[in-house]
Amino acid sequence: MTTHNRGRLFGKNVLEGTFRAAPDEDLFLGELLVAVDDATGRRYLFRIVDVTYGTEHREPGWAERVAGTLLADDVRGEAGAHPLHEQAKRTYRVASCRCLGYLTPDGLHFRKPKSLPTQFSRVVAPEPADFDFLRGRMGDLPIGHLRSGETTVDFEVGIPGDTMATHIGIFATTGMGKSNLMMVLSAGVMVAKGRYALLVVDPHGEYRKALARHPWSASRLRTYAARPLPNTNTLRLSLGELTVDDLRTAHAWSRPQDEALFELERHYSREGHDGLSWLLPFSQVDDLPGFRDVEINGRIALNTLQVVQRRARRIVELPCISIDPGVSVGAAIVRDLVEGRVVLVDVSGLGSTEEVLVGSFLARRVMDHWQAAYLDDPELHESLPVVSVALEEAQRVLAAGADRESNVFPRIAREGRKFKVGLCAVTQQPKLLDDELLSQFNTFFVLGLADEKDRNILRASAKQDISALGPEIQTLMPGECLVVNLAAPFAVPARVYLYADLLAATPAPPEPRPVAAPNISALVD
Amino acid sequence: MGVQEVAEKLARVLNGGGDALADPTGSDLLFEAVVHLRPLRRTQAPADVWAVDGGQALIADARCLQVVVTRAARVRYRDGGCVLEDDGELVAELLTDGSVINLLRDKGEWDAVERCLAEAERGALILIDGDLQPDWRIPSTFLAGLLDRAAAAGVTLASVTKHSSLSRGGAPLLGHLEREAHELFGARATWWAPIARTRPDLAIDIQVVAACLDPDAPFSFRIDLPGNVEPEPVLGAISALCDDAAFPGYPYPLTVADRLAACPGWLRAEAAGDLDDALAALGVTEDVRRRAFSDRHRLMERA
Repeated sequence: MTTHNRGRLFGKNVLEGTFRAAPDEDLFLGELLVAVDDATGRRYLFRIVDVTYGTEHREPGWAERVAGTLLADDVRGEAGAHPLHEQAKRTYRVASCRCLGYLTPDGLHFRKPKSLPTQFSRVVAPEPADFDFLRGRMGDLPIGHLRSGETTVDFEVGIPGDTMATHIGIFATTGMGKSNLMMVLSAGVMVAKGRYALLVVDPHGEYRKALARHPWSASRLRTYAARPLPNTNTLRLSLGELTVDDLRTAHAWSRPQDEALFELERHYSREGHDGLSWLLPFSQVDDLPGFRDVEINGRIALNTLQVVQRRARRIVELPCISIDPGVSVGAAIVRDLVEGRVVLVDVSGLGSTEEVLVGSFLARRVMDHWQAAYLDDPELHESLPVVSVALEEAQRVLAAGADRESNVFPRIAREGRKFKVGLCAVTQQPKLLDDELLSQFNTFFVLGLADEKDRNILRASAKQDISALGPEIQTLMPGECLVVNLAAPFAVPARVYLYADLLAATPAPPEPRPVAAPNISALVD
Repeated sequence: MGVQEVAEKLARVLNGGGDALADPTGSDLLFEAVVHLRPLRRTQAPADVWAVDGGQALIADARCLQVVVTRAARVRYRDGGCVLEDDGELVAELLTDGSVINLLRDKGEWDAVERCLAEAERGALILIDGDLQPDWRIPSTFLAGLLDRAAAAGVTLASVTKHSSLSRGGAPLLGHLEREAHELFGARATWWAPIARTRPDLAIDIQVVAACLDPDAPFSFRIDLPGNVEPEPVLGAISALCDDAAFPGYPYPLTVADRLAACPGWLRAEAAGDLDDALAALGVTEDVRRRAFSDRHRLMERA
């Protein structure tokens, strides 16, 4: 069987290529093609980054003139009156490509481009064997299939689960498939048999039912909800466990308000209050002017105190907040994560700031636990799964202005990998993220992004060169993405599994090992 | 004379109403007393169509000595499909008289026409770029013999001049005729008009016509035909070849021959390189070559 030639390479340099194709050759942005260098036996892998028209006619305006003639015929209702004779000989297509690298003649190694393929090499569609080199780099968290332009290639794409510790960014405009990808990642963690853990803070309540349908959810998923929902655990956080830093992360505080927090915390700590438990008595203060004059010697302006009290009341009145330190689920959630589960925290019904408050508290608990194990008990730490904290609208806590010492999320971004704690930041507006924090993210899932500024910020921070992929990113369809990480030698185009399809293809979990009868187990002991 | 004066003089010519037809390059023509425009109906293209065009390039210029290359391209269309594309052999020549290049190109073209005639089927049409009056240094008996052989073989020769020097009252004739045709037939009309014939005392009998060969043609052209053919059916058949969207009104096979015959920059550079290599191999030093052929204009940034 002969391979269909898609074109012939004619230019450009080591990193870029241009090839000529027939005028009717259907070429797609992002399509992966192979230039076959018969002289060296190498197969150069190219990605199409642009397609333009070409013509044998060199006179300026030739194509416009032809189009004008055809258009005039159309207007008169005489389409076909002036055919373009021998169009196939006179016109063609030119595809501009990025050279991704080449396969050595034995097909075993893939190398970054450092040499030119022989000019006029044949350009053909890749064969399955051309991607064999990727197989070992796709990790154990599958997310979909390799995509070449609009074609789905029968080759599974994913990321190594341990790279969750070096942070994941999921970037897309609305409707491009962020939620589906998040669920696919969750599914991957569920079947990873405890090697990884994932904490998902879900502000819209969109994952609860879907994740619960996963065949492994009974043992590998725990759901906590801030409001009474079926088949969920109640999310209750103790005020005493929350910290002023959580409060600082959740709300935007002015400098006087921040100082007021400091004063109030100092004042109430003298009375033996832990964490934010002082919010309760403070929220119950009726005579705020008197409290200001007597208790804190007038060091805080009254209107500042009023703002803090209003926010304190709102927090205290949240149904998920408990004044009883014994009812907090913080420890339970950390335990679930230690056991390698997906923990879904459904905070639908809470406001945005309260949602961040919950996220901040949980992220801090996780970070503290993993950090303590790392410092105090390396063996225990070794046994802990890599854990990722997924947060929607991540720009709220990872924006340039949000990078404060009190904010746990930038701290995780900078230090988390050492402790096996990563972030999974989901946002529609990566341009709002802090550049330096974004540079800490080693894995990007780039779905459709219409805004050029968003694409530019990713271009600057991505771990592979995606500078030429702007048009491709712009034209990604829902469910199509680029996986950019250090594991693969280039940004891998993928079509993300549809979560529903993934569920249908996921086998039931293995039966739990039968428990030995007491008398037998006594013998074994 | 200033530009304004030239413009005034030119305006008088262009807007003037002189009737005298002329062709500064052809003194052998007898012009029609009055040009009558006639509607032209597109018919069927012949089954066998040939087109010939020549190309030339200067590859080394020492002013007193020049090296030129010429070639003549041929194409053949049978039943609308291209069956031959021959870009012609590149022929190099050393000249001491620059005007000889036209003779060389013409000679190559007419040799190519002869080859076409030898291979053409009865009823074929051979299109030639230019006119049916070769360089004056080619004997008229050559063309006369060619026309006779074509007539005997049932093959029609027709030449198309893209930019004609025909004039009326000193102004370009074809522009005048295009405006007249617009008034006479309205927009988007195809038409033709007899313009001249060769003098009867000459060995060759050629008729010259003007024709607009497509309703959307931006220009009309001078077309030379053998004196013994009925112009209208031939023009109707040529018109059927003039529907290409890239240049309505010009025979498409001639555009292909034109492209093949062209001597683009890369070809000139290649030929110049070959010449340089050959001179070097023959012991002409680089210094001698450079002094002989350096382009002073380019060196002085006047190119």
